Amino acid sequence: MNTSNPQAGHLNALTTRQTRALFGLIVTTLAAAAVACASGSFDISLWALLKGNASALEQSVFNQIRVPRVLLSGLVGASLGLSGAALQGLFRNPLADPGLIGVSAGAALGAALIIVLGSQFAVGATLGAFLLPVAAISGAALVILLLYIMTRGFGYQGVTYMLLVGIAVNALASVGIGVLTYISDDAELRSLTFWSMGSFGGVTWPLLVPALLAITVALLMMAPAARALDLLQLGEVEASRLGVDIVRLRYRVIFSAAAAVGASVSLSGMIGFVGLIVPHLVRLIGGVNHRYLLPGSALAGAGLLISADLLARTLIQPAELPVGLITSAVGSPFFLWLIFRMQKL
Amino acid sequence: MTISAAAVAVEIDGKCLLNDVSLCIEPGQIIAVVGPNGAGKSTLIAAIAGDITPTEGIIRYHDSDLQTLSFLDRAAIRSVMAQSQSVVYDFSVLDIIAMGWVRGRDGESARQFGAAVSAIVEECAIAELLGRTFNSLSGGEQRRVHFARALMQLWRPRGSANSAYLLLDEPTANLDLAHEVRLLKKLMALAADGIGILLVVHDLNIAAKFADKIALLHSGRMTCIGAPKDVLTAERLSKVFEIPISIDPNPLTIKYY
Repeated sequence: MNTSNPQAGHLNALTTRQTRALFGLIVTTLAAAAVACASGSFDISLWALLKGNASALEQSVFNQIRVPRVLLSGLVGASLGLSGAALQGLFRNPLADPGLIGVSAGAALGAALIIVLGSQFAVGATLGAFLLPVAAISGAALVILLLYIMTRGFGYQGVTYMLLVGIAVNALASVGIGVLTYISDDAELRSLTFWSMGSFGGVTWPLLVPALLAITVALLMMAPAARALDLLQLGEVEASRLGVDIVRLRYRVIFSAAAAVGASVSLSGMIGFVGLIVPHLVRLIGGVNHRYLLPGSALAGAGLLISADLLARTLIQPAELPVGLITSAVGSPFFLWLIFRMQKL
Repeated sequence: MTISAAAVAVEIDGKCLLNDVSLCIEPGQIIAVVGPNGAGKSTLIAAIAGDITPTEGIIRYHDSDLQTLSFLDRAAIRSVMAQSQSVVYDFSVLDIIAMGWVRGRDGESARQFGAAVSAIVEECAIAELLGRTFNSLSGGEQRRVHFARALMQLWRPRGSANSAYLLLDEPTANLDLAHEVRLLKKLMALAADGIGILLVVHDLNIAAKFADKIALLHSGRMTCIGAPKDVLTAERLSKVFEIPISIDPNPLTIKYY
């Protein structure tokens, strides 16, 4: 058997370039996480922490504030990046971003419903921590289902069609959130506003756990779909001729993208453009195969949001910018550039 | 061990696209499907491939009803080369060819993958295309790569007894003469290896020259099926294609211009 064939490894393995790219992304993300844990309005010496001679204040800021926050921004970034990559694959549409096509807005509406109406029902704090992500995930799933119906089974309708649906869904969701804002009392309004700005501030371990679970499950569910997503790029009919069960693939991607986006939105509000930029950057670095693109997008998304959050809380110290502002500032010009480039194709 | 269609009818949106069509693809046999536009040729391929479910009749792969087979089982038995596929992202030519590999991903079959790629790349003369992105290829080059992908799906180690089938919808469209002849010769070689082939073609001369059997479709019905010299009569063809057609039997040449 010709095992020395240079193509032999192509079936499963990543190319050298892709391996290097993933390795680089891991290193960059870890470095960003370390810097983000150390810096802020109160600088911590990681070195002192490692040697065990940090002050009690340093230790408690590190354990109770910095680590949960960096972990959260990393997880939210990973889930947005990964969902963006998977949705772009499923819809065969390079502009499918959870924010642009209305999935995040659906999740936000679900979460806002619980924030405002949830206080009507006396639910315990523990149950409440689960209720918010569940509502957000359901909202996200409903929007993806709606998109599926509107695009007649994800038939390739051209790039703009789905964005138009996204505009309508975003408008509908903002009507819902507007109504909720209007009927909410002072306390509800405060938590609604705080949450909808898109921030990683104020996160605590008990809040983090349910979303963390949802995001981890989503990441694990998405991973085995890589080859099927590759085949899907030939078209749905062609992929099924090659043995892909399209219906099962669809449900797998829809469910995990909804879980990832919903859980993220429930914790940190709407953070735009991460799912759009990240897969494009990752494709530029190492190629388009999903076995590389999915983990790459999760890593790059984590790194990007950890860095964006670091900027958000250090740029105008001691005040803090909403992190969504930073990602949109980077993302919207990038979006314009993408549209400009597609026009020429 | 055949792929067979028995009394198949396909109706979509109240329109009858195929009516009472039966045929049987034997291992090692080339069947050419000919007929005017809208005769139902592509519908027939789609039904036999399993893309659409017949309204009536039954399609069998070997002895199993196609509808009861999983997508993977179907992919292991037959490979389809469709008219055209566009790809959104910049996959390399090697990526596209590797997509045809449905024989598992570890152990023995992963080792066979390398051998299969080298053999097929050489047979299809696409070595110089391997490093390029699929989207940068011309229409004809893309078809050659899709053909190579269809062959990957059928690839078996030498001497293995598995029978396989290849369905092609106008494989020679966009190909220049040299590549057309190369593809047709490759089909003959595959048939000699025991692969059953069903192809849709427009060129009646190609059908006459390369096929063992010809199926003539007209308005969704099978007008006639049999050996080329029996099916291709001047009178029948003139009627179905609605232009005067003459046939010179020695060597068999069909003239319509």
